[in-house]
Amino acid sequence: MKVVTGVIGNDIHVVANRLIDLSLKARGYEVFNLGVNTYLEEFFDAVIETDADILLISSLNGEAEGWSREVKALKAEYKGLDNLIMMIGGNLTVGTGKAEDIIPKYKNYGFDLVCHQVDLNTGLDMLAEFVKEKSA
Amino acid sequence: MNSHNDKLLIDVGSTYVKVCVESNAPERCHLEQHFRNFNQSILDDLMHKCGHTISAFAKDDVYICSSANGGLSTLIIGLTHTFSLKYATNIAFNSGINIIDTILYQDIASATVPSDLIDVVIIAGGINSKGNAFADDLYHYLQNINYSNIVYVGNEQDAKVAKAQLPELVVLPNIIDNRLHIVEEELKAYLTNLYQQDIMGKEDIKDLYQISSNQIFSTPYIVNQTLPLIDASYSVVNPFILLDIGGATTDIHYSKDLVDENMVTNNEFDRLVFKKLGVYKSRESLIFAAQGNEFVYELLMHLNVTENIFHEQSDKATRILMQLAIFLVLCKMSHYRQTYINLKLSAVNSIVLTGGVTKVLKQEEAEDIISFFYTKILTSQHRPVTIMDTDYAIWTLGSRAQDANHRAK
Ligand code: B12
Repeated sequence: MKVVTGVIGNDIHVVANRLIDLSLKARGYEVFNLGVNTYLEEFFDAVIETDADILLISSLNGEAEGWSREVKALKAEYKGLDNLIMMIGGNLTVGTGKAEDIIPKYKNYGFDLVCHQVDLNTGLDMLAEFVKEKSA
Repeated sequence: MNSHNDKLLIDVGSTYVKVCVESNAPERCHLEQHFRNFNQSILDDLMHKCGHTISAFAKDDVYICSSANGGLSTLIIGLTHTFSLKYATNIAFNSGINIIDTILYQDIASATVPSDLIDVVIIAGGINSKGNAFADDLYHYLQNINYSNIVYVGNEQDAKVAKAQLPELVVLPNIIDNRLHIVEEELKAYLTNLYQQDIMGKEDIKDLYQISSNQIFSTPYIVNQTLPLIDASYSVVNPFILLDIGGATTDIHYSKDLVDENMVTNNEFDRLVFKKLGVYKSRESLIFAAQGNEFVYELLMHLNVTENIFHEQSDKATRILMQLAIFLVLCKMSHYRQTYINLKLSAVNSIVLTGGVTKVLKQEEAEDIISFFYTKILTSQHRPVTIMDTDYAIWTLGSRAQDANHRAK
């Protein structure tokens, strides 16, 4: 399966991005890594050009929420993104927040899987599970 | 070859023609500039005005470049703004082509059909493992378009169907590789070649081979070749932008450091053309663009003139239009997402002006406009250094570099 990944907005925290790239490849995904400093439109554009099945966004510096509010509207402008699996993880709020508040908010923004401060491997297991259920 | 290694450099523009003698003996160097006479062929016009100079040179020592063909028009159809459209646009600009239009493929059903003849249509989109990116709506759309050339640089899988639908289609390698990076070479070579053919196709220019045995290049190509040499030869501090404002078009060349993007390419410099932004041939459209800009009235006030200046034919009016052209170009490059690319203008250290503008404006007049722009639009105290390439040193440098390449081969 093809995955487009990267770090959203003006966020330059690159370490997790490198790990995500490696872990996804180790799990057999074909990875298109847009790196840090990536804008929402670039993510969707990359999905279109590659025919990716999954979009995995990471956000570490707390910017995610601002961007995520625009996800639904922007995605609706594209034709052919209806089956895209959308996932986000990292530090999804500024300062501290509770996962039970954060998760529903991001689901409402249009994400299928939301991993606030979740360890990467746990997150990727969730993804595998989700993919399995979806194709069943 | 003559004893002083003298060379004659000629640049044929849409409005002016420049003739420059380059020599190891400084006293022999000189530059002439003439308005073109459109009632005569370029060669006749040249011979009439500087036949004496020209006949003193052997054909081997004459180097000509031209922008008089006005460039090629392109329609690019691509899947996304970030990748296929941007990459193709970028390659086209760097090959010396003036873009007419881009179409996002998903909107093709509602896209307007251009009425003018298009020199080349470019189709791009998808990495090679993406198939079925294009369907019948593409071919329907193309049926209604009038074009001379069409080239496909999209994913491999769709190439076969496209070729079957469009027998005249030229298929080149995908401009997007499997890591979503840009692949420039083949499309660039193809477009540069088309541009050359277009120059040659213009009867007038072909005549110029009677006085030169060297290949005639496009002027923007020559300027682009010079950019890496500029900061070594002049007091230009990187990063810089170079504005070539002439009679028909305005060309901007800029260092890549000024662009916030993750496009991977080998070129240090890029180029952007604003067609129809010149003070002679494109005067009307320049005025139209000015009237659409909300700050222009303030600018006119600042320059102590009124809108009536647009209807005047005088040196003063030309000067004001040149100042407007500088202002409009800077505006166009600064507003988010309004154009193809936005430059980090607050990081620019030098603005180099070349072309007709240097013959019309004084240094202070150019600086005045640039200050106005930085204060009003960017609300910044930043002032890049303005450098006027009054004696066409950039073009001379480029032509000389071309000559050196040529000799090396
Ligand atoms: C190193 C670092 C920096 C370096 C970054 C260097 C670089 N180029 O990468 C520098 C100094 C430049 C920096 C700058 C800033 N930083 Co900083 N930085 C850190 C730090 C100390 C470590 C980050 C790191 O690399 N960790 C190692 C990696 C492997 O872990 P990770 O990033 O957490 O990723 C893991 C998980 O989050 C997860 N994950 C990540 N994405 C995804 C996605 C999915 C789908 C899944 C399932 C999992 C997942 O997987 C990874 C492996 O388990 C963290 C604090 C911390 N200890 O986490 C702060 C931290 C991330 N930074 C923070 C801040 C605020 C900033 C600045 C704004 C500071 C400032 N005021 O200037 C700037 C922002 C710059 C910018 N434009 O983005 C905050 C963010 C707070 C928030 N979200 O509320 C943190 C948390 C520090 C803090 N506690 O305040 N930072």
